[in-house]
Amino acid sequence: MSTYEPNVHIVELRGVRKTFATAGRPFAALDGIDLRLPAGEFVAVVGKSGSGKSTLLNLVAGIDRPDTGQVIVAGASVHAMDESSLATWRGQHVGVVFQFFQLLPTLTVLENVMLPMDFCRTLPLAKARVRGLDLLEQVGIAEQAHKLPSTLSGGQQQRAAIARALANDPRLLVADEPTGNLDSQTAQAVLELLAAQKRKGKSILMVTHERDLGELLDRVITLADGRLVGEQVREVVRA
Amino acid sequence: MRSFEHLSPRWCKLARDLWNDRGRMLLMTVAIAVSLIATSAMLGAYAILTREISANYLGTRPASATLEMSQAIDAALLAKTRAHPLVAEVEAREVVQARTRVGDDWRRTLLFVVDDFQQLRLNRFHPESGAWPPRDGEVLIERSAVGMLEASTGQRLLIKPPHGPAKEVTVTGLVHDPGLAPAWQERTGYLYLTRTTLALLGEPTALHELRIELKGQPRDPRLVEEQSKAIAAWLVGQGYAAHEIRIPPPAQHPHQRQMVTVLLMMLGFAVVALLLSAILVANSLAAMLTRQIREIGIMKTIGARTSQIAGLYVVLVGLLGLAAVVLATPFGGLGAVLFARAISSMLNFEIYDASIPAWVFLVQVVAGIAVPLLLAIPPIFRASRQTVRQALDDHGVSSDRIRARLASLPASLRNGLRRPARFMLTVGLLSAGGAMFMTAINVKGGWQANIAKVYETRDYDVEIQLEIPTTRDLAQALGKLPVVRTMEAWGFSPAAFAKSGQLDVVRTYPDRGHGSLFVMAPPPATHLIHFPVKAGRWLAVGDTDAVVLNHAAAAQAAGLRVGDPVSLSLEGQPTTWRIVGIVEEIGSPAIAYVTDHAFATVTSTEGRARLLRIRTVAETSSERTSAIRTIEDELLQRNVAVTSVVPLAELRTAIGDHVKILVDALIAMAIILAVVGALGLGSAMSISVVERTREIGIMKTVGATPVRVVRLLVSEGLAISVSSWFLACAFSVPLTHFVDRLIGNLGFLAPLPLVLSMGAAAGWGALTLAVGYLATLVPARRASKLVIREALAHT
Repeated sequence: MSTYEPNVHIVELRGVRKTFATAGRPFAALDGIDLRLPAGEFVAVVGKSGSGKSTLLNLVAGIDRPDTGQVIVAGASVHAMDESSLATWRGQHVGVVFQFFQLLPTLTVLENVMLPMDFCRTLPLAKARVRGLDLLEQVGIAEQAHKLPSTLSGGQQQRAAIARALANDPRLLVADEPTGNLDSQTAQAVLELLAAQKRKGKSILMVTHERDLGELLDRVITLADGRLVGEQVREVVRA
Repeated sequence: MRSFEHLSPRWCKLARDLWNDRGRMLLMTVAIAVSLIATSAMLGAYAILTREISANYLGTRPASATLEMSQAIDAALLAKTRAHPLVAEVEAREVVQARTRVGDDWRRTLLFVVDDFQQLRLNRFHPESGAWPPRDGEVLIERSAVGMLEASTGQRLLIKPPHGPAKEVTVTGLVHDPGLAPAWQERTGYLYLTRTTLALLGEPTALHELRIELKGQPRDPRLVEEQSKAIAAWLVGQGYAAHEIRIPPPAQHPHQRQMVTVLLMMLGFAVVALLLSAILVANSLAAMLTRQIREIGIMKTIGARTSQIAGLYVVLVGLLGLAAVVLATPFGGLGAVLFARAISSMLNFEIYDASIPAWVFLVQVVAGIAVPLLLAIPPIFRASRQTVRQALDDHGVSSDRIRARLASLPASLRNGLRRPARFMLTVGLLSAGGAMFMTAINVKGGWQANIAKVYETRDYDVEIQLEIPTTRDLAQALGKLPVVRTMEAWGFSPAAFAKSGQLDVVRTYPDRGHGSLFVMAPPPATHLIHFPVKAGRWLAVGDTDAVVLNHAAAAQAAGLRVGDPVSLSLEGQPTTWRIVGIVEEIGSPAIAYVTDHAFATVTSTEGRARLLRIRTVAETSSERTSAIRTIEDELLQRNVAVTSVVPLAELRTAIGDHVKILVDALIAMAIILAVVGALGLGSAMSISVVERTREIGIMKTVGATPVRVVRLLVSEGLAISVSSWFLACAFSVPLTHFVDRLIGNLGFLAPLPLVLSMGAAAGWGALTLAVGYLATLVPARRASKLVIREALAHT
């Protein structure tokens, strides 16, 4: 295995193990995962329900912590950060896209997009507004900027969520089944939007059940019972 | 949707949360504001009243001590005393106890005899209207006595002095004497006159009260006593004789201690109301945080730090507190001034300056913002410190372990307990509010029961105090009057706890109104009084040196117990007794009871009595008044010098009037607590229902009809109401006991009897059930009418 290089590798997991307490015995969601993902790739994590996909994503995004092992993202030892540092780091370096969009219902679409810039104090209010509108333009819903999320369709909401994830210009986007709640046509549009971000240099790690993504993906990671059981690179994926 | 474009997104969120939940926010604000109004009104009133009562009382230049001289005070004595190094000022006065005809009654009246109205030096009073000074044959009346004596300027009063026949004098002016307890509370008229007018009334004009102001106006009673004794001893050396020193509590209005204690107690109730409203805020906020826990998770996911999240909700609560402060400040200030004016009017002193000190507003601002914030901080930090995964995974219910433990409870309680912390807060808030509400009513009941004891422990209708001991023949003659059922002739003497070889020191004001001690000598088998014995026993036939102290006397003789010897000075004559018992006597000053025979022996008054207690044949109030008049006429015909005639009803009125405002204020506090408690229940119930909208959708999906859903939710609301009611009843008992002790000891030197009002318990129960029912019914009906899709989509 080659040496981890932050500019080359966006994610590295070393001996990561994560268990959850259940009514019976502890359940190992991830069981000794070693993984290294190159920067600038669109990577899909696949596997059956309960295989550990979302847990893997949560660990990479700093949403959860491993029991043992190391999680290094964009050069930062995520597993060693305290909650407060983690929040700031995540806000600046990782954009998260959820299956159910998770836009704040009382904020307009634009305000939702501006929120990460506000929390991380990356831009002053006026510039944040300009950037927010620009991002909404990029994802194709600029005309919805001043509406509440509840008035938007699912696809529009997910586009807004992607715009929000891009707000602080993170190197990595993680998306947990971003198309799971969308019809196939809309899902395709969202995936293409993500792919466009990859083309702009972002790294994308996405949990998905979608098939036929060969044209868009650079790598597919397959999990089963908390273990890494397969890793296919672009040529194989597209074959 | 409200536009807040000028705000950054997170503050936009806060503003919209406030706006979208404006009903509940308003409710929380009102709850804080109501309790803050009570708190600031009480605090403001406390600040005004304590300042003004002192200003009024000290403005009279109260005497540090009064030396009761055995001979008439002349100019030489005044000059010598004034020259004493410990003395700052001196003045001679006399207070004569007389009676004034009011309608068909004779009312107790104090005649304040002043040598020179133009040169009042101590215990000064001020002209309010009419003549100043009064001319010979005229009197001035204290403004609080106008109602008591039913007299005003220009009217003529028939005054019966102790030693002569009744004579008429004209009231020519009104004065204000802030150094006295109000006349209507003491059931005593206050008149001011010259020595010449006193002579016209047939009384000796000599002045015996040497009122002294000590240099530096010491506030330590022991120092006042020490210096007063030194002056008295020095006067003895100069050839004068003093037989009693009267020392009032230094620099303290007669009712100041009671006023301050009552205000502090009311303030305590108000602070509890504020705490309850803060709990309400914390509870409502906890519910709001529960609803927003996923939003918190999302915000943390996109970069929000714990401090930023917490800051949002801290600001929210701070804004609510600030709004409450803004709302409460004018009303609290107004309440403070109105309450202060009511109390000052009741206690007969002027509010010279009604301004509320700045520190009151500062405390109000700090309390209004900090108290809700302090109670809201735990739920805020609990929510904002959750990790992202915890927040995103939150399902809003307790752990499986807790749920398993709840399985055995009825469904209505089990559902309420799904959030144990909130359940505890809701029930705690209601219980505390209910307990305070019931306590306020219970204390009122205890107070009334205590006043009822005045009748229960006394079987006479009137007490007649004679100027000098009179033969028992008089008693026998009166006893033969058809209106008299029972009569007892008792020995009576003003007294003091004496120390061997020292002057008598009495802790009383110049009018002897508070802190005085008397010895009464009934027949041991008296039928007219039967006070509960707290220690030892009552008097027995054959007792020669036995004394029974009432609880007020026992309080004055702190440290003495049953079996101890006690020295009592009876008008300067030292006597020694042994305490055989202590009784509780509500509504009397300090009294030491000895047997009539023992008293007659030591005072050489065998066969004579100075106090007549009479039970008439009257059945009604008017018959009683008529009977008392018949007895008085008989005394008049026999030319007996009467000091006072006090119908028992007068005593009861005096006690009741002393603290009427307290009872009224307690009820006002009960209402405030009820409002806060009801708001708390209403808020908690409506939140609980709204939170379960999705669950209602699921219930309807599996076949529950809207009626069934509503019934289930309402039953849960009622379960919480009933639980809180039981706890409130339980809490109210020790709380009532505590407040009864506090107020009883303050007003009567004995705890109030524990009275538990069934009406209060039932009233609170009805209120909680009604509020629980309505607060659940309205949102439950709204939620049950949602179509299933809307209910399931609810977040």
